[in-house]
Amino acid sequence: MAMGAEQGEPDQSIPGLSLLLGNDKICVVILNTDAYSQRSKIIDTLLELTALRRASNLVYLAAPKILGTAIDAAVFRSRGIGLLLFDERRIEEAVVPEKIQELQPVQAIQTQDTALLAEVTNLRSMYVEMERNIAKLREDLENYRVSVGTSADATRSMQQRPVLAPEPILPGQGSQLPSFFTNNPWLDLLSRRGKDGETFAA
Amino acid sequence: MDFGTSDFKFGPISCGENPRIVNNRGYFPDKKSVMYRAFEATSDIIVGEDVPLYLQSTEDLSTRLIYPMRNGVIDRGDDNAWRVISALSQFGLNSFKPEQNNGFQGYYVVASLSSVSPRYMYERLLQTFKENNDGSVRAITVIPQPFAVAIGHGVTTCVVIESGHGNSQVCPVSKYPIRTAQVALNRGGGDANAITSEILKDAGYGDLTGEEALVRKVKESIGLVPGDLESAIQEAKKNPRRYRAKYKVPGTRVEIDLEKDSWSRFLIGEYVFNPNHEIFESYFGRGMPRPKDVKMGDTVFRGMLDFGEAIIAAVERCPVELQPMLYREILLSGGNFSWAVPERLEGVVVDAPTKIKLLLRDKGIKNVSVKMTKSPQFSVWHGCIIYGFAVPDEYEWDWQRLEGWMKFGGKPSN
Repeated sequence: MAMGAEQGEPDQSIPGLSLLLGNDKICVVILNTDAYSQRSKIIDTLLELTALRRASNLVYLAAPKILGTAIDAAVFRSRGIGLLLFDERRIEEAVVPEKIQELQPVQAIQTQDTALLAEVTNLRSMYVEMERNIAKLREDLENYRVSVGTSADATRSMQQRPVLAPEPILPGQGSQLPSFFTNNPWLDLLSRRGKDGETFAA
Repeated sequence: MDFGTSDFKFGPISCGENPRIVNNRGYFPDKKSVMYRAFEATSDIIVGEDVPLYLQSTEDLSTRLIYPMRNGVIDRGDDNAWRVISALSQFGLNSFKPEQNNGFQGYYVVASLSSVSPRYMYERLLQTFKENNDGSVRAITVIPQPFAVAIGHGVTTCVVIESGHGNSQVCPVSKYPIRTAQVALNRGGGDANAITSEILKDAGYGDLTGEEALVRKVKESIGLVPGDLESAIQEAKKNPRRYRAKYKVPGTRVEIDLEKDSWSRFLIGEYVFNPNHEIFESYFGRGMPRPKDVKMGDTVFRGMLDFGEAIIAAVERCPVELQPMLYREILLSGGNFSWAVPERLEGVVVDAPTKIKLLLRDKGIKNVSVKMTKSPQFSVWHGCIIYGFAVPDEYEWDWQRLEGWMKFGGKPSN
């Protein structure tokens, strides 16, 4: 408020204060002195604040100065969460938060459901991850095709052909194809013999 | 199965990188001989690793020891040679006979013959397999050796040049062998042996020239391919010590030293690639046989065509659009292209790919790429294995294409 922030629309899903400073949405969660006797309360509050980073541009924890000694400022810095320490006389910004979201029109932010936004962001990151995995699988499949020379027809012909061997396995022989098969374009070409209708060179 | 002029290379895909190798020859033992009876042999023909055990006097060798593929072509009526081929094929299949009653329904056999093999050789070979089939063969096909080389090397559009003991073949390939464009030369490693013999005679070693194996070893030891024959000879005459040709026969006191005539070692390599230089006329005049044009089977083998002209003649029989692509992939295969370049003689002495490039450059063909096959000894067998693996079962033998599977049916599984 002293910096010029205004109270934002109340949001049931967000604990603490919701403020607006220009285009930035600020969330301030206030820790009471009884948290001093409940250490887990500080950790729970921190976890809540971490979740709130998706819903706000800036997130603060406001704690009594007396609790300052129990709080490790480095943890806040690493998470981008701001820390305000207050007593009866003043409020001190002990840790400056990191802004985490693009500027959004105030009206859009006001109208969006923050929880829904968080969910959408989550889904978007999952989608990007899936896209990456699919691209990798496609690449692996293509490499496999090239090395074995499989087309749909070749696969069918290999499935249809009676067992060539079991040839006696000589000592020291592995089950891999010999090196002269690797990247050999004839595998694909020969697998289409008689199927493509191509005329042969006399 | 690769039926080469000297060796029979065979084996299934489970052999891995290299096939089994035995000499492409068979021995017809004297059944009355003590040795034959001592070994209790029942076969009329001995093939494979056991042949040396049955060899008797040297007088017998010329009649009893048969090399069927010496020139890549077997005469239609040479029954003994065909019997050797049949015996070798059986030997190859029996060497990899799977256990009984395991569901095995027969091999897909890919046999490879010289590119100059006439149609009757295909007929006879396929017939041989059909008659002898005991269930080991499910289907068979025959492919030309240069085609197999292209497959083994992994290049779909190229010119393959195979040069062996008796002859050389220039074969364009573009997804299929371009049979009508093939050019055959009546010149191979044996001709290099012939010029080596003449050089040894001139240097006073005429008494050694009767043993072909020794002459071949001298050729391999002292023969060099010049980038330019005349400048190489000049260079060698100016620096005889640098180019001195010496060979000591292992295990003997015999040592060959050409001394001031060491320049003649360049004639050995040059003669293989281009026998047209006037310096060779003096050897022809003294009785060394001039390579002639001969007809074997359906093919005319040119005697005096140099390799550059032969490649151009083959490529220019192909569609114009294809020609640049063919020049860009020229593959050399066969023992006759294995020429060493001693380190200190680089620049004057060249290897086979460089010599081919120079011959083509002299005729105005510049954008060429010439390489040795990756595995000169086994690339035919590699190509056969890939062909057998990839070609679909339904692609049936066609006598016009000379490709496809001729199926025998195989044994029914229990």
